[in-house]
Amino acid sequence: MSASKLERLLNLTALLLDTPRPLSADQIRQQLEVYPSEQAAFRRAFERDKDELRAMGIPLQVVKVPGTMPAVDGYRIPRDEYALRDPGLEVGELAALHLAASAVQVEGMPATAGLLKLGGLVSDGSLDLGVHVAPLPADPNLARLFGAVAGRTPVTLTYRGETRTVDPYRLEFQRGRWYLTGYDHRREDERNYRLDRIEGDVELTGGPSFTPPSTAVPGRALGAWELGAEEPVRATLKIEGPQARWAVQHLGPDHVRSEEDGAVVVELPVTNRAAFRSFVLSFLDHAEVLDPPELREEVVRWLEPIA
Amino acid sequence: MAGADRVSSAETSGLRLQRLLAMVPWIAAQDGPTLEDVCTRFAITRDQLAADLDVVWLVGLPPYTPDALIEVVQEGDRVWIHFADVFANPQRLTPDQAVALLSAGASVLALPGTDPDGALGRGVAKLASVLGVDADQVLDIDLGGADPQTLELLRQAVREGRRVHLDYYSYGRDTRTERDVDPYLIHAEDGALYLLGHCHQAGAERRFRVDRIASAQLLDERAGPRRTEGSATGFQPDDDDPRVTLRLAPEARWVVETYPVEEVVELPDGRLDVTLAIAAEPWLARLLVNLGPQAEVREAPEALREAGRRAAARILARYR
Repeated sequence: MSASKLERLLNLTALLLDTPRPLSADQIRQQLEVYPSEQAAFRRAFERDKDELRAMGIPLQVVKVPGTMPAVDGYRIPRDEYALRDPGLEVGELAALHLAASAVQVEGMPATAGLLKLGGLVSDGSLDLGVHVAPLPADPNLARLFGAVAGRTPVTLTYRGETRTVDPYRLEFQRGRWYLTGYDHRREDERNYRLDRIEGDVELTGGPSFTPPSTAVPGRALGAWELGAEEPVRATLKIEGPQARWAVQHLGPDHVRSEEDGAVVVELPVTNRAAFRSFVLSFLDHAEVLDPPELREEVVRWLEPIA
Repeated sequence: MAGADRVSSAETSGLRLQRLLAMVPWIAAQDGPTLEDVCTRFAITRDQLAADLDVVWLVGLPPYTPDALIEVVQEGDRVWIHFADVFANPQRLTPDQAVALLSAGASVLALPGTDPDGALGRGVAKLASVLGVDADQVLDIDLGGADPQTLELLRQAVREGRRVHLDYYSYGRDTRTERDVDPYLIHAEDGALYLLGHCHQAGAERRFRVDRIASAQLLDERAGPRRTEGSATGFQPDDDDPRVTLRLAPEARWVVETYPVEEVVELPDGRLDVTLAIAAEPWLARLLVNLGPQAEVREAPEALREAGRRAAARILARYR
């Protein structure tokens, strides 16, 4: 970017941030005195500059200039939409964020520009976390869904060929994939959706914002058997042998019903029966579904043809 | 992260404008930071900073007379910016930047043993607060579980280059084994933490899931240098591992994407004949009971031909 273009874009940003009233393109040209005087050339240059600012996420607003007839487009940058409120990060906190962003990247979403806004790249020692983390995969709907979660805005999305209205509660990253947890309006219940199985773009409904339930359980890894949209059922599973200990650690104490003689009984919410069956069978004959009968029956039905 | 390289190499694409919109408010809010501090924070050279400051003092508001322009004062190795009220705040984070930073923070906080109330936890909470969210409620990242003490011991072993003794549950062989390992690195992938190292029992590089390590001890021996180059991968077939050919239903195509298959023949009806190297019978048995009616063994050495049938019968015995 040439120095003169940089100077022009900075001055344009300053002018539009400072103005209390929207400015028409002509007013902008007169004030800035840097655009070509020929109308078509000015228009082209001004369009390019607007695109550049928008590409950077600057909220350039287009509204009618008051009192114009016919209406004339006016431009401004509302300060409250532009400005980042100072989070008041201490140097050590900024350094910790820098270390985290160096160790964990989301594909195609560089964090550097965000860190610069927060006060720059500072470090207090090594940028080595001691654990190499594979980059988290990108997803075309990730940023928009985060915006919807943050803004508590209902969305519509197409999943398994069906368009659903969902209150997006939370984004989760499990076993290398992104999931959305939310309230499915039609089913009147919480469901999980795999982001890479959402068909096409997620749309914001523009409907009234929702209040997420306080009962949501954050910070817990979801099992594959929970990552489905089937009717929920509670399953009890007995696990024995060397993996019993692993299962307790992996599933968390909340799911453990009893533990004795190296065997453990766990209770799990199942909304994906095929994934539950796979999980159970991964223990070979060190595990057994105790309840409900329909899930026991499903294991039997699955294995009979090959036994 | 080579922040400096990344910023400067993409200099043409508007990043310079973004940087200035971040740097001007920051300098203006300080009382004369050193040029060196500015360069480090914004990942630029002294020449780039000089070029940036040359632009800043041409910026201001109409009528662009000297009193309406931003003032840049440089004295010795320090710099001040005055009259930049219009740029008093940096720009908001874009959704991409917010996701990238919160995900990175949540990922590291999710590593077993990270202090949730440490600098990172506080930083993430403050950042989330200006974004109007509660970080714990809206974003949940799991990189893999582990016993925090085991993980910390392994990190220390890698850092100090020391050998470790592991009591390890081998999932593929369904047995517990004891091994001495020279650790190379720990990595997180697909929801699990792994230790990559040279296993003295196997005499080769192996990958161990940290959550299957029942116990680990730090030994006094130094770990040797990494013997082989290459990326951290899972099961590597040996030439003398037995081969098995399975006929898979179309729904079982994921096997081809998940395991190192050596040969795939697609049949006209959509079924697949795939050939896999089998390191241990329990591994094959697991795959076959998981696939159930979706797979059929076409070719296998005598000892493995009935692996799926035997495992299925043992499991079914529990249900009758």
